[in-house]
Amino acid sequence: MRFNQYLTKLFCRTLSALLVLSIGLIGCSLTGCGSDDDDVTTAAEESVFDASTTLNDFANKVVLATYTDLDNKAGELLGAVQALNAAPNQAHLELAQAAWKAARTPWEQSEAFLFGPVDTQGLDPALDSWPVNRVDLDGVLNSGQGLTEASIDALEDTLKGFHTIEYLLFRDGDQRKAEDITPRELEYLTATTENLKAKTAQLRRAWEASGENYAGEVANAGDTSTIYQSQKDAMQEMVNGMIVIADEVANGKISDPFNESDTTLVESQFSFNSISDFQDNIRGIQNVYMGKFMADGQGLNEFVNGVDPNLDARFQTEVQTAIDTIGAIPDPFRDSITAQRAAVQAAIDAVSTVQQTLENDILKLVLDSNFE
Amino acid sequence: MMVETVKSNYISYVLFFIALLCTLIAACDSSDLTDPAKMEVSDKKFSGGETTVFDATSHAFSTPAPNLSADGLAKHLEGDVEFEAVFVTVPAEVNPGLGPVYNNISCINCHARDGRGRAPTSGEKLTSMLFRVSLPNPNGDGTQGPVPVPGFGTQLNNRAIFGVPPEGTVTINYTEGEFMTSDGVKVHLRTPSYKIENAYQPLPDDVEISPRVAPVVFGLGLLEAVPEATILALADEDDQDGDGISGKPNYVWDVQKNGLSLGRFGWKANQPTLIQQVASAYHDDMGITTSLLPRESSDGQPQYDGRGDDPELSDEILDVVTFYVQTLAVPARRGLDDPIVQHGEELFESAGCSGCHIPTLETGTLSDVPEVSNQTIHPYTDLLLHDMGPGLADNRPDFLASGSEWRTPPLWGIGLVKVVNGHTNFLHDGRARGLLEAVLWHGGEAEQSRDAVQGMSASDRNALIAFLESL
Repeated sequence: MRFNQYLTKLFCRTLSALLVLSIGLIGCSLTGCGSDDDDVTTAAEESVFDASTTLNDFANKVVLATYTDLDNKAGELLGAVQALNAAPNQAHLELAQAAWKAARTPWEQSEAFLFGPVDTQGLDPALDSWPVNRVDLDGVLNSGQGLTEASIDALEDTLKGFHTIEYLLFRDGDQRKAEDITPRELEYLTATTENLKAKTAQLRRAWEASGENYAGEVANAGDTSTIYQSQKDAMQEMVNGMIVIADEVANGKISDPFNESDTTLVESQFSFNSISDFQDNIRGIQNVYMGKFMADGQGLNEFVNGVDPNLDARFQTEVQTAIDTIGAIPDPFRDSITAQRAAVQAAIDAVSTVQQTLENDILKLVLDSNFE
Repeated sequence: MMVETVKSNYISYVLFFIALLCTLIAACDSSDLTDPAKMEVSDKKFSGGETTVFDATSHAFSTPAPNLSADGLAKHLEGDVEFEAVFVTVPAEVNPGLGPVYNNISCINCHARDGRGRAPTSGEKLTSMLFRVSLPNPNGDGTQGPVPVPGFGTQLNNRAIFGVPPEGTVTINYTEGEFMTSDGVKVHLRTPSYKIENAYQPLPDDVEISPRVAPVVFGLGLLEAVPEATILALADEDDQDGDGISGKPNYVWDVQKNGLSLGRFGWKANQPTLIQQVASAYHDDMGITTSLLPRESSDGQPQYDGRGDDPELSDEILDVVTFYVQTLAVPARRGLDDPIVQHGEELFESAGCSGCHIPTLETGTLSDVPEVSNQTIHPYTDLLLHDMGPGLADNRPDFLASGSEWRTPPLWGIGLVKVVNGHTNFLHDGRARGLLEAVLWHGGEAEQSRDAVQGMSASDRNALIAFLESL
């Protein structure tokens, strides 16, 4: 290449690069893009947020409080199942069904923080495996095998936990008749509910200060925690937990059966409890974000609000909208995936919005911030 | 007209601003470029090159590579769902095909959060560890692989669907011992012993047993993309350079090639490709057949169901799960500015650890996975076999790997096992209860390095561990 050609080429390239840049900048100035983000990032970088209270309240007032409620409700479910076993009538069956749904609520809310002992101690699969291994369940029921809490514990996770109990209590929707439940099923139901109660108690102890105190590992992040080297890591864990469940509800729990029009993929299909399950998942996000379960604490919202009040207000609205939009899907969900396509699509979109704000805005805010 | 004037003034203002910006950017760039330490630090953080993720939470091992395209991410997420799929007894509407004999019911149940398994604690069920079995092969040259035990195959399936006998159970016992550092610090080391019990039919007395805990599954696409020539160049089978370290490639059966290929994956590098690794896990661990391995693991045994429904898993699922493990992100290093970590890194070098745990490799091209191609990575492995001495030996050869040879495991992410998996159990059988125990178990070719660590001051040993924890 001759030198003057080179100069011309260089000149052209520079000019075109400048042109592209200036068009971009003019475009930005006219639409106002970028300016908000820059302010927010600067604010986040400059302030130092002491996350101790947020993390402590998350660990104790949200996570431990939810697990405590779960364990209490599992105890009530066990009581109801024992009553059904003692006197298998329709009233007792309906009480047990209601107790199952009541215990399901804190569990689904706890799916917004599926990390720590619930995972490392194998409790999530023991409590919530899906699908139920119905071939093997029939095998066990039809055998002479002893049915105790210990014998159930030795079985696969697909033969115990919420969905096995659900299958035995509801079978197909809420039309189950007490007289259809065999004595062997009642025996299995009692033993497997005892096992569920043992697992929820284990989970609660794992977080309690008087137990293994995982709450302390989270609350003392960046200080005495052996798990989290910094408060930022623990704050990221909180946001990650919310992202994972938003993703699962939007792109898995609702979308999979909806896209395939396949009712066999629906969660909690025996009890027709799917819509409550999904709403409680998003309520779990709300609990983590607002720092509350039964008692109010300091949530992530205070941190977000301190940096970007508009984002805080927007996200709170988006979460509530997602809960309401899921609630607007007519029951049962497994019929709505084909009969109420628009309502289901609206719910997917609303939860996706929550997921996007968490990923694009709130996680970014946490990662750009300085904590104590 | 008015608007146009405003705009043209605006353009000159913007052009001036751009010029100013360019000057500033140039200045910033050059100051970074003139500081090699700064450049190096920023490079080292990126353990997985462009697939690196900055996350030190329980999700550190289970995040999609950030450089995935939209299509790639969608495929990765499909694989994620399948990796979590729980299998049940046939017939079933969802996920049939489990067993009849198996070790676990889903990928994720062993590789929890795509992380590391461990040996069961006393009274606990065996969930993320399994046992390979075989018969002695005194005259074989190793190229045929392990000799199956009649009625058991090459892996003990300790679980089975209802009504079918599991192949047996294993009891684990530990003998506590002590190791003394030269400055008088006692380190407790436990030696495991294994006994197969409740075998459904008598086992030969000379059966060889090899324990294997589930390894982490992130970063594997990068390791698959390391050119064979790179690995072979690191090999020094007869220790011609006299550094006491050999480094031997394993050559193992490649189902797709119908011949031998370089082994890369597994504790003894006995799998040549990720697709075969994944197919073998479905086959051996869950009893699920694929087009690669279409014959039930129980075929020829009384547990065999004879259903003729193989392959039980579609090629599409095999493909997305393979892609999933190829494209999981590698977590970034932490604490690089900490002088203790920096000192620990120097000690890692001076003690000779980096002779096998090679810090930096360049990947080549992995077809259809551009995300892992042409990356500078920091896996801390040479993917070669090394004799680790009698203390760690399983005495069960696996293709060319002898009974005391193991593949150098990658160390990336090792400091995050606690936050992800809630434990710090290391080595192929999880016997080490912390990183120092794991280091002190090193023997054979690593004995000199072990001795160097033994002879370190307490603060140096702590620095070495701090470095490992930063990975």
